[in-house]
Amino acid sequence: MLNKVMWSIDRSNANLRAYQTEPSLFLDGWERLADDPEPPYPDGGALTPEERLALETLDIGALYAMGANPFLLWQMVRSVLVPARMGIEELIPHFRAAVEPHGYPDFST
Amino acid sequence: MAQLVGVTGLTHNPLMWRTLREGEPDDLKETARHLGEFRARVVDLAPDILVVVASDHLHMLLTSNMPAFLIGKASSMRAVHPNEERMFGLTRTTVPGAPDLARHILGTPSDSVPFDFAFSDEPWLDHSFVIPLLCLTPELDIPVVPVFTNANSPPIPSARRFAELGTLLRAAIDSAPGRDRVLIVGSGHLAHELGGPRQFLGRSPDEDFDSDALGWMAAGDLKSAIAGCSFDRLLAAGNETFQFLNFITCLSASGPRPATVAAGPETRFSALPFFWWEMG
Repeated sequence: MLNKVMWSIDRSNANLRAYQTEPSLFLDGWERLADDPEPPYPDGGALTPEERLALETLDIGALYAMGANPFLLWQMVRSVLVPARMGIEELIPHFRAAVEPHGYPDFST
Repeated sequence: MAQLVGVTGLTHNPLMWRTLREGEPDDLKETARHLGEFRARVVDLAPDILVVVASDHLHMLLTSNMPAFLIGKASSMRAVHPNEERMFGLTRTTVPGAPDLARHILGTPSDSVPFDFAFSDEPWLDHSFVIPLLCLTPELDIPVVPVFTNANSPPIPSARRFAELGTLLRAAIDSAPGRDRVLIVGSGHLAHELGGPRQFLGRSPDEDFDSDALGWMAAGDLKSAIAGCSFDRLLAAGNETFQFLNFITCLSASGPRPATVAAGPETRFSALPFFWWEMG
């Protein structure tokens, strides 16, 4: 579900703004989509408590270690943080420091 | 019958494209030279159709539905996704399709190379298709058959399977009715990483892989290319290196035969691939 929720955040300008504004509210709505008897496509999904916490706090290292697709993770993080909270030159070392301790986790699905 | 008039493979790095729109810094001069040369080759060849082999970057295709290989068969296709406008400065546009050739590829029987593609009547091209197209045909006026390959979301098809894809594409083009001149365009990377510890190093994450890869293409050595592109070796070269597999499709479709251009100029974005196989 991690890849799906990151896709939902990065690929929609409206979702990106909602997540940037209040991650928890956005995630509530996204998870509710999966319970819709006639869900939109793509719909939402159920996150584990660990996934939910990592997304609420945008814990890059935790998401990476849990097997998030690296390309999708980078794009989503970049969309959320640049330029709203930092510049790209600041994000690159910030991101590297977060993922480096975890090496290359299996991101197969 | 249709005619395969050439095979090429090149980078789709969107940051390279954006940088070159603003000027020509020293580290991209060789890249710009290759792009200019390839554009001139396309003008000279005057293809009627481009068959573009590229890997959707989790834009149109997501892990909820992930085909290994998919053919787009629409007469007109959306191109560029909203986040690519935001991040890369690309502009949303449309690209003409070539549905008759796409259907022919889908229906080409082969006893020696069984192939069952997924298909889409509404393909939406991302930068892996659009950047090579903008570089080779800036007007985006040549109809395209998009061949989507999964090289971004493991489990990824084997290098041998990518080679068989090339064999199938070649057989399909050679047997297509009409007199269309077809150019195969592969889109991908040499050693490259995004979203991992080695992204944005300012150089290639694996120069040994780059050297081997250029050598396979220059020699037309499909057997060594397949042997050298195991999942583990590609991942060791960088977590985006799987997209090199699209060039194995190109090499296979060429015959295989030695590439007349096999270059990988080193840039701030890693080494950028440029391959050309002359046919005829």
